[in-house]
Formats: sequence, C-alpha cells, structure tokens
Amino acid sequence: MADPATPASATATLPAGGDGAGSRPVVEGHALVKRWGSTSVLTGTDLTIGPGVTGLLGSNGAGKTTLLGMILGLSPPDSGELRVLGLDPTTAGPEVRARIGYSPEHHRLPADVRVHDFVRHIAEVHGLPKRAAINRASDVLWQVGLGEERFRPLGTMSTGQRQRAKLAQAIVHDPTLILLDEPTDGLDPVQRDDMLDLIRRVGRDFGIHVLLSSHLLEEVERVCDGVVILRDGVVAESGALSSLRGASRGLVVEVTGTNAQVEALIEAVRAAGAAVELDGTRLLVSAADAAADPDVLHDLVRDSVAAHDVGLLRLQARTTTLEDVFLGMDP
Amino acid sequence: MSAVPPPLPPPVPGAGTAVGAFGTGEARILERGYRRYDGPRLGRASSVRTVASHAIQRVLGIKRPAWAKVLPVVAIAIAYIPAIVFVGIVALTPNDPTVQQHVPTYGQYYAYIISAIALFVAIVAPEVLCPDRRTGMLGLYLASPLSRDTYLLGKALAVAAVLATVSIGPPFIMMIAFSVQGHGPVGPGDLVLTALRIIGAGAAITIFYTAMSLGISSLTDRKAFASAGIILALLVTAAVSGALQANGSPAYELLNLFHLPFDLAVAIHGGPSSGARLSVLAASGATLVWTLLFAAVARFRYAHLQVTR
Repeated sequence: MADPATPASATATLPAGGDGAGSRPVVEGHALVKRWGSTSVLTGTDLTIGPGVTGLLGSNGAGKTTLLGMILGLSPPDSGELRVLGLDPTTAGPEVRARIGYSPEHHRLPADVRVHDFVRHIAEVHGLPKRAAINRASDVLWQVGLGEERFRPLGTMSTGQRQRAKLAQAIVHDPTLILLDEPTDGLDPVQRDDMLDLIRRVGRDFGIHVLLSSHLLEEVERVCDGVVILRDGVVAESGALSSLRGASRGLVVEVTGTNAQVEALIEAVRAAGAAVELDGTRLLVSAADAAADPDVLHDLVRDSVAAHDVGLLRLQARTTTLEDVFLGMDP
Repeated sequence: MSAVPPPLPPPVPGAGTAVGAFGTGEARILERGYRRYDGPRLGRASSVRTVASHAIQRVLGIKRPAWAKVLPVVAIAIAYIPAIVFVGIVALTPNDPTVQQHVPTYGQYYAYIISAIALFVAIVAPEVLCPDRRTGMLGLYLASPLSRDTYLLGKALAVAAVLATVSIGPPFIMMIAFSVQGHGPVGPGDLVLTALRIIGAGAAITIFYTAMSLGISSLTDRKAFASAGIILALLVTAAVSGALQANGSPAYELLNLFHLPFDLAVAIHGGPSSGARLSVLAASGATLVWTLLFAAVARFRYAHLQVTR
C-alpha cells in the first residue's frame, strides 16, 4: 500500500469521444484520499477521465466502487479535489447527480414493480414531468431491448433482463455521464456480448459518456476507448486504450516444415538482426531496434520464409493486450 | 370472413425491396433511434414529491397485489367506522340526550381508534423505509438529485400523510357531520377553534409517530423486524411507565410512547389528559423531545449508510 502522505501521480488523459477532440474532461481528481475506518482505499491519486467510454479496472477491493460513490457525491474524499462535469460533487451533489445515471452492481430490484413503472419512477425522481417520464421510459426500454417486456414485474425477469432494466433507468433522464458498476455480472456469454454491444451503442450512438467499472479485462478492451487501472489505492495505469496497448511489438509467426527447415529459418532471421523467441509452436519475432520500421521486419520474415521453402500458417503483428498491461504493472 | 388474404398490390418500380408485406399487419418498427431529452427538468421539490407519492401508493397497496391492500383497508376501517357510527347515532336520535351522552368528544375519540393508529404506525414506516435498502432502491434514489436528507423528508411526508388519514380524518368528519346536524360547534369562531384543535391534536400524534416509526425502521432493513420493534417499543414503554407510576411519580407517564401523544391530544382539546397527571407543557415538551430524538436516530443512521455497494 502506498504511503498516504506521498500522493502518487498517474494522470490519465483519454482521447475525445462523443464530444470531439479538445472537450473538457468528464472527471478530474487531484490527490484523492479516501479511508474507510483504518483501511485506506484511495491513497492520494490524480485522475482525469475524458469523454467516450472509459473502463475502470481493478481487482476486487481496489477502490472502484468507492470512486463511483465519490463521483456521485455520496462519499466525499477525505482530502484532495474532485470535479465531475466541471462541478464539485461534494458541494454540488444534487446538480452533479441530475446529470449522471447510475447502474449499481447488485441485481436486487423491487420484485412486484413493473419494469415500466420502475424506469418511469426513476425518471420522475430525476425531475422529468410525469408525461415526459412515461414516454421516455417506453423509449429507453425499447432501446435496451425490453420494449415487449415493459409491463412485466421485475421479479419475473432474468438476470440479463434486469441488467437491461438497470441500464434503462440509468439513461432514462438523458444524462451526460453514466456509471455502470459490473454491468455484465451474472450474464451468460451471449447475454454478455449483447450487453457490451448495448454499452458501446450508448457511448457511441447515444452520445452519453460511460464509465464502466469492471474487473474483466476482455470486456473493457472490447468496448472502451480508454482505461483507468486502480491498484493499491492509486491509478496504476491509464490512458487511451490504443496508446496503452502501444505500437506493434514485433510479429507472431507460425510455420510448418521440418525441424531443419525451421531452424534454418530462425538462424536466417537472427542473422538479419532480428530477435526470435520460441513460444510453443509460435515464433515471436522482434526487431533489435525498437524504433525500426515494422514493415521492414515484416518483409524480412516473409522473404526468409520463402527462401527456406517453409509453409506459412500465420504472420501477424504482435500487440500488447490489456492483460499484458495489467500483469506487467509493478506490484 | 374469407380465410384467403387479399392479393398484394403489384410492386412499384423503383420503390426498392420491401421487407415484410404491406397491408398484412406484419409491419414493425425495427429501429426507433435514441432521442435526446431537452424538455423541462423540475427541481428537487418535485423529486421529494415523487418519492412521497410513490411511497404512499406502496403503503396503501395501490398497483400492488390484493394482499398488500388488506392491512391498510382494515386500519382505515377501524379508524372511520366508529366515527360513522357516532354520526349515525346523532342523526337517528337527534333529541335523545340519554343516547347522545355516549357520543365521545373529539379528544375522547382517540380512545376508539388508538388500535388503528398503532396498526398503521407498525406497518407504514417499515413498508416505506425498509424495502428500499433491501432492494437497492436507496442507492438509485441517492444517485438522483435527492440527498440523504431530502430522501428522508420525502419518506417522512409519506408516513405523515398516511397517518394523518386516521389521526385527523375521523374527528374532522365527525365535526362536519355534527355541524350539519346542528350538534357541532356553535358559531364560526367555535367551528374554527374546534377545527384547529382537531388538526393540532392529529398533527401532534402524526408527527410523533412518524418520527418514532422512522427512527426504529432506520435500524433494520427487514420490515418484520421493524414492525416488531415498533410494537415492542409501544408496549414495553407503556408497561414500564405503568409500573413506575404505580410506585412513584406520575411524571413517568412521559416515558409512555403509547399514551404520550394521546395525552397531548386530549389536552389540546381542553379535556383532562388520559394520565390526568401531566400538564400540557410537560406533555408537549416530552413529545417534542421524543420526536427530535427519533428523527435524529433516523438522520444519523442514513447519514452513515454506504449505498453504492
């Protein structure tokens, strides 16, 4: 755990999403500290979340839900400064929350309430007049795929349908930002794919900024423009997903041929100045000079394979996955 | 009616490929598109009203299964039937003082409906407060423009509105009916004074029991536990107070959560307190202290609830 007295600084500035380049950050935090009793959850971190769809990653207990509560103005930071949509949620909580939608992690919802009544009620609580709330509830339930089910009680719905209902109530008042806490929890793979597509649509087509809290790297990698990774109470990594993954780290090559042919191929590539590692049946080829033109490496491998009469099964750029980033962080 | 559908119209050149069959009732809107909302957004007062009206509907069983309507209907019936009976007695025997001497005063009427009020006190606040924590609705409410205090305010308004239907409604109906029959307050001044006393006494009972039931309900997220806690608080304090008064000062009546607000109500109407040993000042002071204490418990409890988990 980092020393609370020494704020760690890891600033994430994400690329512009729906608002276009140069738009204001959605969330900005400076030297944020939060403790629950004697447990330090956030230990003095800086954080900037830009527009678009952003993943908030971290293992259980990393402080994701605590950060969501702080963004909502429900648990003020012990010290530090936080601004959400340009406002301080500690002093302007109602104004901030009027522009935010929130989908909690849990699936417990009032069982005997029809989903349309539930979504309409949340719209009214957010200040929409009754008639507008009724119309908006119907609209968003169609958008999330519950249009045909809108008069069913929540207690009769599957976990997937309840996740959609939670998303519907989060967007019914047309917020600027929505906070989704583990929105795919409890879903089967098909439902999960559907939900991720829906979140992507909300961020891209609806023009609503999304902060997606999850501990699943793959789903963040799939739908998010940027990512913030929390570890030990600080932002350990953050930024645009494309920059975190970085440029190509070489090539992944799979070939078929005799051992002698493959060994000759490896020797030839190494002789040309590239590094070759064996990873099971794959060859991981990288340029000795990290700044070298990737096309040169690509041409080298292609020509060497042809010259040694080896069958080529796969020739692919090797990129860093979010998992590589996550596992590669200094503990 | 023919089972054979009418022939489709011939395709229009250049109209493109039609999906589905026009005129057969199979047409569907497949993509509605997301629409931004740029209409009015009402303030926090509207949010509080929404929470209060929704809670009132839940308590009264509106838009809920039949079993949820049973207890509220029973409580309201217990509260109003005696009033209707007394109005009927006065109507049927307008000139018989022997019968009419059994008709209670407005202050004495609470003795007839104390069970209805206690029943409502035990069921209303737990229904209003506890399910929000169990179902996670509290987190959704507090993620809205509502704060913890305005949320509690909305819930308190709901409890108070429901309790007022049984604490103010029946004596008020009696007063109007007696006035129409010529047996009510004499003259406009007396009428206004009586109405104010009815409202004041009912409001004292309502506010006291609203705070008490919310304070106890805030300690648990289970309705049954909250109801049991409220009933226990009423009965145990009544028993303890009675025992202490038997061997000591009548001031121990101030500990009696069951009778204290009714003592105050009777005193407001100008009659003898049911304890007959409390001054109006002592009864109102004790009622105020208890009310503030229970309100503080509810507020403290909700100020420290972690709601985003």
